[in-house]
Amino acid sequence: MSKTILKAVVGLIVLALLLVIPKYVESPYALHMMILLFLSVSQGQSWNILGGFAGQHSVGHAAYFGVGAYTTMMLMHTWQIAPWFGVWAGMVLVVLVALVIGSICFRLRGPYFVLASIAVAEILRLSAINLTTLTNGAEGILATELPAFKVAGVVVTDFSTKVPFYYIGIFLALLTLGITYWVQHSKLGYFFQAIREDQDAAHSLGISISLYKNIALVISAVLTSLAGAFYGIYVGFVDPPTVLGLDVSVQIMLICIIGGMGTLWGPVLGSLVLVPLSEALRSNLVTDLLVRGGVVSADSRVGIFLKENLSHAHVLLYGILVVLVILFMPEGLMGFIKKMASRRKQEAV
Amino acid sequence: MAILEIKNVSKFFGGLAANADVSFSVEEGSIMGLIGPNGAGKTTLFNCITGYYPPSKGEVIFDGRRMNGLDPDKVCMLGMVRTWQKVRPLAKLSVVDNVMVGALAHTSSLKVARAMAMEQLMVVRLEHRANFLAGGLPIGERKKLEVARALATQPKLLLLDEVMGGLNPAESEELIQLILDIKERGLTQMVIEHDMKAIMRISDRIVVLNSGEKLTEGTPQEVVSNPDVISAYLGESHA
Amino acid sequence: MAVFMQSLLSGILIGGVYALIGIGLTLIFGVMRVINFAHGDILMVGMYLTYLAFTSHFGIDPFVSVLITFPLMFLFGGFLQKVFINRVLNAVAQNQILLTIGLGLIMSNTVMLIFTSDYKILSTSYSSSTFQVGGGVSVSVPLLISFLITSVITVALYWFLLKTDTGQAIRATAQDRDAAQLMGINVKRMSIIAFGLGSALAGTAGALISPTYYIFPQVGSVFTLKAFVITVLGGMGSVVGATLGGILIGITESLSAVYISSGWKDVIVFVLFLLVLLFKPSGLMGKSRT
Repeated sequence: MSKTILKAVVGLIVLALLLVIPKYVESPYALHMMILLFLSVSQGQSWNILGGFAGQHSVGHAAYFGVGAYTTMMLMHTWQIAPWFGVWAGMVLVVLVALVIGSICFRLRGPYFVLASIAVAEILRLSAINLTTLTNGAEGILATELPAFKVAGVVVTDFSTKVPFYYIGIFLALLTLGITYWVQHSKLGYFFQAIREDQDAAHSLGISISLYKNIALVISAVLTSLAGAFYGIYVGFVDPPTVLGLDVSVQIMLICIIGGMGTLWGPVLGSLVLVPLSEALRSNLVTDLLVRGGVVSADSRVGIFLKENLSHAHVLLYGILVVLVILFMPEGLMGFIKKMASRRKQEAV
Repeated sequence: MAILEIKNVSKFFGGLAANADVSFSVEEGSIMGLIGPNGAGKTTLFNCITGYYPPSKGEVIFDGRRMNGLDPDKVCMLGMVRTWQKVRPLAKLSVVDNVMVGALAHTSSLKVARAMAMEQLMVVRLEHRANFLAGGLPIGERKKLEVARALATQPKLLLLDEVMGGLNPAESEELIQLILDIKERGLTQMVIEHDMKAIMRISDRIVVLNSGEKLTEGTPQEVVSNPDVISAYLGESHA
Repeated sequence: MAVFMQSLLSGILIGGVYALIGIGLTLIFGVMRVINFAHGDILMVGMYLTYLAFTSHFGIDPFVSVLITFPLMFLFGGFLQKVFINRVLNAVAQNQILLTIGLGLIMSNTVMLIFTSDYKILSTSYSSSTFQVGGGVSVSVPLLISFLITSVITVALYWFLLKTDTGQAIRATAQDRDAAQLMGINVKRMSIIAFGLGSALAGTAGALISPTYYIFPQVGSVFTLKAFVITVLGGMGSVVGATLGGILIGITESLSAVYISSGWKDVIVFVLFLLVLLFKPSGLMGKSRT
């Protein structure tokens, strides 16, 4: 029991620290990193409910991310509807999309489900490119200026800094974490995991497979669409590859694979690894380090090459990580930690 | 009173009849044995009864209700649950969580479900394994887990598909006792079994299937003395 | 009518290359039950090999370079199988899929590091030349040559699978891995050969389309998806099915580009794919499930 209390205390302290960070940290870059981290956690948790708990490994989550992002952006761009209203429309639309996808894809198992989920996301991406009147095609949508957020006529924030985004991000991350916790500790979580472990056995125990798969999908899709809307508004720009591309789906999934699927803290761990690493590559931090460490000189051919190209190759890192994780720790970091812990326990005994 | 009536059930795969015109009924509170050589269509019949395959022809009436075309989950909710010949533990869940999944069919409270699960684990004498991972259990205990999980769904009819397969004599004996205990509680059971001695001991009546058809039906005594049954079995073992 | 014949013909010609891609994927699936999500990226590597050979001092013609691409890609595929895929043969399907996705990402991004993400065009003297067949129908020369090469390779492959000992061993492994092992077939070796062959076919397809296609590091994902559509359409694991599936997809694409719009042609292919998955998941050539 004291262990639970300890955990709760640690959790509250971490949360309090996170909440006061913007008061003391002014660097927009640091806040940006934290926002990306929160975004990644909420993406990962959303996927985790369907992929990690219910065992339906969707490689098409870009569909929900993109629909959320596009709907919110389109409503704001075309009809000047504020995102905090637009996001609801995005959620409704995503539920519809998810139910259509579910009714198609959930008749299929294993690799066929994966293929179908990719195909659906690709259909949406290509449609976004082709429906130019609606989505502005391949050029994408640039956000108009955000209206100030008012409550009862009082301006709460005008979004001139990153701070409001920081708090929205933290809210999203906590929301998805909370929902995952709730799922894990309810009938839903048991049924999802039963379906993941053995669909036929679950079916024989009175679990309606299609009902519970669709419930998992809808929860997962709605949360992913929230993350998508947040991404669109925060970055201020969406186009088909950045919110609907296959890379997006892979990245979302990767968060859970690295951290550990079907665990509460897996996506958090995964984000803690993935976000800093890929940002380090993106922002040329790695090249800088190599130059400063004297490994390569900045003016040499290699140095120039790295500076110009390494920042584009953060996806290379995703690839290497996937391969390493699958080969050496298929249960992700959480699985690895658990294994280490149980080994230590055994040694202690 | 018959709790389950199988009326002229046939199941075709392509042109092959896995079950052909099988009829019998199971009395409430009794144990019905289902035997037959390999490939006789026993498991197919289970699948037809529990909604995994729709029967090609005929009717399955359970508790006065026509079951044809119902999905396995509906079948379970109506009170008929099966175990699997090849055990299917939810490997990454603990033993008690496995049984809780069954218990959650009729409650939404995890607390209630856990209590019910522990109760069933006591019935199969597996309570000491409650927090083990189901995937790590030895075969004998996995078979018991299957039974406990099925019992947790509060069935009126329990269908056991070769629960003694692959067990040593001591383990088999335990399961025989378990099946008899369950009968004591008034639960109807239908049991597929290869071990003839075991099936003779536990069954009130036995149906014999051969090449998809019902060869005969009767008390264990009637069945063993039936020359057709002997030749069907000898035919198999001497082939 | 001429328009219809024209697009039908180019559909069949491009379909030949699609068939090669599909056969490669289906061979790998048949022998190892692994769905290779890096298939398009392997094709992309083949494209860049061809590009390198063409822009090198030797200026090797893309169609001639098949002679280099095929063996090199065979070795590359064998290497992938031996070092990576082999370790996950008994793992759950999603881990296999993820591993190949990861390998694909490594390939495409490594190529991007080396060649940048610029689109490259490999223009030969005949890249845009055509000749008239009559009735207002013309044939693109590079498409025709690639179709002929495809046909030769496909025939050779059928011969290899049907007539040689190794080919028969591969088919036996595909039919029942355990039984093949019991019969003394070196299943591991067959897996390496199958993955090598599959990669060689994909790489060759890459070489063959390089005169008519943009070459860029991310080109693979389009072909990976197409390869799935083709093999699912033909029935997973069926070589004949993949051949027919390839040609069918070529025709579908070509007709929908003309009669609907080229922007929507891929959408139509994917919709077709979903329909097949839904209504005939065993594929057009596969035995229907009971």
